Amino acid sequence: MRIIVILGRVLDPRGIVVNRRRGRIFINREEYIINPADRCALEAALRIKDAAGAEVVALPRGPLPDDDVLRQALATGADRAVYFVGQVANLPYADDAVMTRVLAAAVERLGGADLVLTGSTTLDTGQGQLGPRLAEALGWPQIVGAWDVEAVDGKARAILLRDDDYLAVEADLPAVVTVLPGALKPRYPDGVRLINVYKGVGEVAAALEEWDVSDLVDEAALQPLLEKRGQDFPPERERGVRLEGLPAEMAQALADALRQRVCR
Amino acid sequence: MDVSYLDLLMAQQEEVTEAEGGGGIWVVADVVDGAVAPVTLEALGAARTLADALGAYVYGVLLGQGVAGLAQTLYQAGADGVRVADHPALARFALEPYLKVLADLLEAEQPEVVMFGATAQGQELAPRLAQRMGGGLVEHATAVSLDETTRTVQATFPIYGGEYFEIAACPEARPQFLTIEPGAFPVPFMDTYRKGEPTMLEVEPVEPAVRVVGAAEGFEPPVVPLAQAAVIVAAGRQAGDFELVKRLATALGGRVAGDRGARDAGWIGPEQVVDVRGVTVAPQVYVAVGIRGDTFHNAAIEGAKFIVAIHPDPTAPIFEVADLCLEADPQEVLPALLETLKR
Ligand SMILES: Cc1cc2nc3c(=O)[nH]c(=O)nc-3n(C[C@H](O)[C@H](O)[C@H](O)COP(=O)(O)OP(=O)(O)OC[C@H]3O[C@@H](n4cnc5c(N)ncnc54)[C@H](O)[C@@H]3O)c2cc1C
Ligand SMILES: Nc1ncnc2c1ncn2[C@@H]1O[C@H](COP(=O)(O)O)[C@@H](O)[C@H]1O
Repeated sequence: MRIIVILGRVLDPRGIVVNRRRGRIFINREEYIINPADRCALEAALRIKDAAGAEVVALPRGPLPDDDVLRQALATGADRAVYFVGQVANLPYADDAVMTRVLAAAVERLGGADLVLTGSTTLDTGQGQLGPRLAEALGWPQIVGAWDVEAVDGKARAILLRDDDYLAVEADLPAVVTVLPGALKPRYPDGVRLINVYKGVGEVAAALEEWDVSDLVDEAALQPLLEKRGQDFPPERERGVRLEGLPAEMAQALADALRQRVCR
Repeated sequence: MDVSYLDLLMAQQEEVTEAEGGGGIWVVADVVDGAVAPVTLEALGAARTLADALGAYVYGVLLGQGVAGLAQTLYQAGADGVRVADHPALARFALEPYLKVLADLLEAEQPEVVMFGATAQGQELAPRLAQRMGGGLVEHATAVSLDETTRTVQATFPIYGGEYFEIAACPEARPQFLTIEPGAFPVPFMDTYRKGEPTMLEVEPVEPAVRVVGAAEGFEPPVVPLAQAAVIVAAGRQAGDFELVKRLATALGGRVAGDRGARDAGWIGPEQVVDVRGVTVAPQVYVAVGIRGDTFHNAAIEGAKFIVAIHPDPTAPIFEVADLCLEADPQEVLPALLETLKR
């Protein structure tokens, strides 16, 4: 069985301060972490590997030749990792539509897979397009927002939350499954593997490959669909807003306020 | 009463059915418990505003079983035309059957903009359709504006859960797909004079690729340490019914906690006490239900991004640190709140 895990990095929010009044973002520490949901997807892949045996291949969400997340994945237990170089890295912005084409071609070049796992959403932009887009490009079933995944008898089994109830669902392999942030407790990288992969020593370092995107797709046709048009800042925090009215009216206003702030 | 717009509306209706070459702004409805979800109405309101500026029509799409009667709600919220796919195979959301109906419809209609609620259904459908049709997608839009020269929608969406926002657009590719964050746009005025005759769609049933096996027996979601929880619902002495507090936490996908009073009442264990001498927390949302809020408790929630306080006593110190204050008996607010959140 081959499991492909797609991982990206995000700027560690602990190093960022947003000044709403000035409309500015201060990056005090430019440190990156693996996108939390993607870490859970990696953990899911490694648990399936532990249970049933599988080759786990890590691919990046983005085209940057910086491969920290892939080194982390190798140190944590992935068998193989591939990062992309080429013109695509010079794009001002590689959106999920671009990455879908690159990744779909990469899945094919790897000889297909039984399961593609990735995070259901990114911590920074909150977008969750990559999994479903890739499922569409590959023509595979998708399970979005899983709390847990296993692969048994040629099927992907997952747990989803629907209206306060946890449901078990299944789809035939191959399939794309996206995993929720916090769904699984990720394991830590192995210390020796981590040192070796950074020193470039041994098997684990040799498992990191570099692929040129031009060998996979026609790079000239890779144009992002989305364009960034600016930033906006929420109003400064206004404390002590009192809700008036009957309890039912207060409940309605509170529900509206909570819906805006609780992403589910 | 000025009813001149009725003629206008009827003229429009006529043109809608005859319009060639497609276009328009399309809103795919979410139906929850046999009713149109608020987020769909909110999306229709946003669509109406965009359409008026662009000189385009707004269309609503309803999928489900026995949903044709809901079409009038979509007209009232601003739709000029409604398409209904009514079939037992669509009774519950399943990706492939819904995708088949929508892909056929949207291929034929070539919309400019397609909107979904940022719900479980919308988040599965929007990216797949965008990928299939070569369209761009911005998810969780909380505001929209227009670049009128290129008829491009610019969508604002939250970064790091709302620390700030980014604005993105898809200037070249069409359709432009959006998912609309629930609660971000106002529910439009429901104009009961707006009426229409929906078009029924042929439905070719398709097998869903994902099958529901049943309830997830014995599954327990992982326990997030309180200090890292994104949503915390905490009880105090005045909470009244701790069961309601637990249900609110479940509904918000959050963790239950409390103050010392809640521990003394036996509702929570010592590891769940929010207090500088216990656990210090920093969630996105902290709901203090019947907590008075002494110095030690209030200091322990300083890192919270948004604090809601529900307490009957207007002089409770919790109101000094809360963003949203409800001077009320939690037992009167929580049942109504739980009911509203379900919808
Ligand atoms: C609040 C904030 C402010 C910033 N301000 C500035 C600024 O003013 N100036 C500036 O130069 N930079 C700034 N940056 C940093 C810049 O945006 C980073 O490069 C960014 O974190 C990643 O780029 P991207 O997601 O916009 O697009 P891309 O770099 O194209 O990445 C697209 C996707 O790929 C993922 N990804 C990126 N690199 C990798 C990788 N090596 N492996 C796997 N996945 C990867 C990303 O997580 C993303 O999901 C800022 C970042 C943030 C969060
Ligand atoms: N790295 C930073 N983190 C947080 N706030 C900052 C930072 N840099 C500047 N500020 C704030 O912005 C104000 C003016 O900064 P500046 O515009 O850079 O001169 C300062 O007085 C600080 O309050």
